[in-house]
Amino acid sequence: MKEAVSKYVKSGDLLFISGAQHGAPAAAIAEIIRQKIGHLAVITCLTNTNYLIGEGLVDRLITGYSLLNESRSYGLQKARAANKFPAIEESSHFAIALMLYAGYIGVPFMPTRSLLGSDMAKYNAENIKAIECPFTHTRVGLVRAVVPDIGILHVQRADKDGNAQKWGTLGVDLEGINASKKVIVTAEEIVDSDVIRRDPNRTLISSFRVNAVVEQPFGSYPGHLAGCYNDGPGALMPVLRQADYETNVRESIYGVNDWDEYLENLKKKNGADFLDKLRLKDPVYSEPVASGYETLGGSEK
Amino acid sequence: MTQEIKSNYSASDQMVVSAARQIRDNDVVYAGVGLPMQAALLAKNHNAPNCTIVIENGIVRSNLFPIPVATDTLGSQAFADQLSGLFHVMCLGQAGHINTGFLGAGQIDRFGNLNDTCVGDYRKPIHRWPGSGGGDDIMSSCARTIVILEQDRRRFLEKVDFVTCPGYFDGQPGRREEIGLVPNTGPTAVITNLGIYEFENREMVLKSVHSGIGVTLEKVKAETGWDLKVSLDLKATEPPTEEELRIFREKIEKVRAARARLKGEMAPPGQ
Repeated sequence: MKEAVSKYVKSGDLLFISGAQHGAPAAAIAEIIRQKIGHLAVITCLTNTNYLIGEGLVDRLITGYSLLNESRSYGLQKARAANKFPAIEESSHFAIALMLYAGYIGVPFMPTRSLLGSDMAKYNAENIKAIECPFTHTRVGLVRAVVPDIGILHVQRADKDGNAQKWGTLGVDLEGINASKKVIVTAEEIVDSDVIRRDPNRTLISSFRVNAVVEQPFGSYPGHLAGCYNDGPGALMPVLRQADYETNVRESIYGVNDWDEYLENLKKKNGADFLDKLRLKDPVYSEPVASGYETLGGSEK
Repeated sequence: MTQEIKSNYSASDQMVVSAARQIRDNDVVYAGVGLPMQAALLAKNHNAPNCTIVIENGIVRSNLFPIPVATDTLGSQAFADQLSGLFHVMCLGQAGHINTGFLGAGQIDRFGNLNDTCVGDYRKPIHRWPGSGGGDDIMSSCARTIVILEQDRRRFLEKVDFVTCPGYFDGQPGRREEIGLVPNTGPTAVITNLGIYEFENREMVLKSVHSGIGVTLEKVKAETGWDLKVSLDLKATEPPTEEELRIFREKIEKVRAARARLKGEMAPPGQ
């Protein structure tokens, strides 16, 4: 993780954070903060950016929905006090998805019927415009493409080459990670490539687009990840008190070498089975589907 | 609200029940967390068993599920008809396949313009809400958008401080179409802790007051920041039926309370 982040996340980068309320790359974000990689622009949807902002690393936040109420977040207060509060480029959920989609498909903008007449269009006019449609001659909104310098995706499984598979809700993962110039994949488990190739519809991004892959169990803690674990305590709670904020930052970031050490400390503090208890004991499995044929095997067969 | 009348239900019960009644069988409903989700699930359990519930992160469900504490949980994902992404869900909406949207709001004005962004000047806000999320997208694309919010003079304003989701702008005909919004979309009903509103000539008109919990027309007017239009056939809001209350409490509130307790037991250690 250390190498992947130091090699591919650079000061001044436009960073895409995947995992809209599901499977955010918490361990990778902690490593970015640990390495104090700053002056970032961040585009994300429904992930917790309060620690990145609180530690003064974000210059610009491209958002459709974020906790921006400073009276409810010590992280925001800390950034404000340090004069490190990010510039906000505000739109909507769909706009964020469309900006990333435009980046993904390689066009400079996407038309939309959203945002027209809203004050987001007024205050974020650099990125939201309206034109007359050349075909229908009606008014249509436009959002500017976003091509992140670096995208980080956490998944349930990937192979060592970076073929990455995620299931459950995907938020803006597909659009955002495929729009990104460089890609870091973190995975609960590195599996044999054969596991990937027996179920290739699940692959969100394939190895030739991935720069680094890191195995990181509980890489989304305290968030949930389908098929893996449920939310940990406090997953949905904003951090209001300075003491809680600083404790979290110390315990999960600055006071440990890496995420695994943090997880070990959680177990020491809360019981050896603390993390294991987050794994639900009654998983239901999907029906296997025929996805290949022995006689049509690849070169390894 | 005056408490002289004793009732076996609360204002929020009335809001959820009234909102659920807006959902028709076979509707495709976009529901956010909180009262909208409670209303959608009550409808699914009762008056609209064939409705489809769409949740922002990519969840499409035609079956029941336990009330989630957030839009995306293992429970709201599990056994869905379809799990995709936010892009897909919003595309469904923009293409006209989600006919009913449910939104909360921080502020509303007489023409149904909503503010989910800030109190005061955007550049120097007195208070910040999280912003549009899918709100603007839903209001821009659904045939019917139903707004649920607590009513008081700070929220019911002559003019909202920021237009996050345009309603009917200044109320003149054709404004939504002029600016490029999809024809025949926009807010159609507003449900508050005091009454129910519909739109006539693009302006909010009070249709009923929750007199069953002691709300009066005077109270409603006192909590409205403009010269409120009142329907000529103003009614008392139909109170929740025994059956609606029973289903709401057994199928939704109980689960919600149990989850809240569970969260409480998992006292935050490091996080």
